[in-house]
Amino acid sequence: MDRRTFLSLAGATAGSIALPRLAVAQPKPLVYYSINAFSGNFAASGKYSDLGVRAAIAAYGSRLGRAIEYKRIDTEGNPAIAVRKVQQAISQDGARHFGGAALSSEALAVMKEVNKANGVYITYVGADEVTGKDCNRSTFRWSTPTFGAVNTVLRPLFQQNPKWKKAYTITGQYVFGEALLRNSKAVMQDAKVELVGNSYHSLAEKEFSGYLGNAMGSGADVLVILNFGANTLDLLRQAASFGIKKRMAVAVVWFSGLDTFQALGADVTEDIYFGLQYWHGLDTPGNKTFLDVYRREFKENPRFYSAADYQIATLMFDAIRKGGSEDPAAIIKALEGYTYAGLTGEEQVRPFDHQVIKNYFLARGKKKSAMKDADDFVDILSSSKTASPKSASDCKMA
Amino acid sequence: MNIYVFQALNGLGLGMIYFLLSVGLSIIFGLLGFVNFAHGALFLVGAYAAFFTSQATGSFALGLIASFVCVASVGLVAERWLLRRTYKMSHEAQILVTVGLTFVLTETVVYFFGPESQRVAPPEALSSVLMIGPYPIPSYRVFIVIVCAVIGAALWWLFERTLFGARVRAGNERPQMLKLLGTKVSRVYAIAFGLGTGLAGLAGGLAVPLRGADPSMGVEAIVIAFVVVVIGGMGSFSGPLVGGLIIGVTQSMMSAIWPEGARLAIFLLMVVVLLLMPKGLFGRA
Repeated sequence: MDRRTFLSLAGATAGSIALPRLAVAQPKPLVYYSINAFSGNFAASGKYSDLGVRAAIAAYGSRLGRAIEYKRIDTEGNPAIAVRKVQQAISQDGARHFGGAALSSEALAVMKEVNKANGVYITYVGADEVTGKDCNRSTFRWSTPTFGAVNTVLRPLFQQNPKWKKAYTITGQYVFGEALLRNSKAVMQDAKVELVGNSYHSLAEKEFSGYLGNAMGSGADVLVILNFGANTLDLLRQAASFGIKKRMAVAVVWFSGLDTFQALGADVTEDIYFGLQYWHGLDTPGNKTFLDVYRREFKENPRFYSAADYQIATLMFDAIRKGGSEDPAAIIKALEGYTYAGLTGEEQVRPFDHQVIKNYFLARGKKKSAMKDADDFVDILSSSKTASPKSASDCKMA
Repeated sequence: MNIYVFQALNGLGLGMIYFLLSVGLSIIFGLLGFVNFAHGALFLVGAYAAFFTSQATGSFALGLIASFVCVASVGLVAERWLLRRTYKMSHEAQILVTVGLTFVLTETVVYFFGPESQRVAPPEALSSVLMIGPYPIPSYRVFIVIVCAVIGAALWWLFERTLFGARVRAGNERPQMLKLLGTKVSRVYAIAFGLGTGLAGLAGGLAVPLRGADPSMGVEAIVIAFVVVVIGGMGSFSGPLVGGLIIGVTQSMMSAIWPEGARLAIFLLMVVVLLLMPKGLFGRA
């Protein structure tokens, strides 16, 4: 065999071996990065957000036409760590598709990094700045802003309870709490309800008895709670132990959901009004699909973080499908103005600030004896898609 | 009754909780000169021991007993097999070891119970409120004040009026002399360590109906405990009592006067005490 024949045969053999592989070669998988606190003090959010992303991938199946690889970025509840790990993922792995973050401080820091890298990022944190003054082309936000939350909760309550003339607020002293308070004051002014006092507290506060004493001494008809997470849990536990529900109505404008109801129990949550981004009992086509998958996979009802991460991951996959590309610019274009059957009903991504317009819910805690099952903590009283208009937005997107 | 009287009474109750939280830390420092950074994690373990036992048995009283016994046992084991080896090391080494122990205990709790907040309702008999003028005081908080007062009196009696207390005090001041007199000093140390940690566990158990049990509570507890013992003075028995009451009343009164400064005030108070009395109000060198 001469050299030319040998090379021809070797080439043909190599080609014949490689050909079937080329014929069945799969496109590169999409890598989706979920940013959350999977360890540390906020690990409860990460635990459930993980289940939500896994449910989204399971629900999407092969509809994307390629495998979906899911990687977790553990922020440990620390914005500095979040930024460092996101920068690493961008520079070392070429990461461009991000979702999540339980803490506003993390999201506000991460969104700048993702934008610098021309990636795409969808979050559900409370800070209005995400789609307000700090908005950018790469970032989208699923959760209803504080304006919508306050208007959905307080406005109907004041209308239906004309005897409520005085309100007292307990507010977390950080940007999110301030935004809730500012919007609450505006609604109270419209409804002619006097704000007789406010107690600010720090994020690290654990002992609320002093603030509750102020509220009880104020003669208020309703106590409006304007904080989130562990602060709300501690405050409501202590409010119940002081018997405050017998003295005044209590409304929590922004509440997490099922996990926090379970942590409090119906004896505490009974008769309290709650604002909710999501509730597992919603009767919508989007939620039905989600529940089917989630219950099949995890044999329980989803918590807020599972639902939120499911929704934002699904939005990302939808946009890739709709735009026909995983290029962030194409995804952003596909998302702007996108209307879809979301968990809370029909939802739409507002093009000018990348804010999702969705339903927010006013609910009331049920008596334990009225609960149909162990997770049936509330009656949904009403919902609305109230959103501040473009003219009131601080978003100036380049 | 005006709001300030209510806040003062509320602050006294709060101060008693802070006393129980920090007295174990002070006892251990007083006896061994050992700053136990794992104290907050032991408080956390006590909370979960109370949660687990009361869920399993339906008895909150058993939960409280379990919180003391379980954490005292953890403390004894840690002292015998780990911390005893660090007594002669530098404070930096002790801090490293106890911070490490904090991580181990916290992650063990997360492994078994998950990261979510857990709840224990107060017993039915303690779930009502007592009215003082127009203000309600939860019966459970009154119960805690009584329990803390009884424990405080029992500790005073134990350390000031018994042979064991005399040995503990002697062990603190003249350990070699005590050894020469035939007392097994290491056993005195171990018992005092177990007692100090058990009290942290009991404080955790008592705190659960007030604020639930979650993995972050240990960090919060150690911060407050250090503020209390720094103000009251490390190593004394009366220090944590007075320090706890001062902190509790300050925090509660400030809630009425300047709510956003309520938490800040306790740290400012600590700074002032440190500047004027570096050993604290009742501290030893």
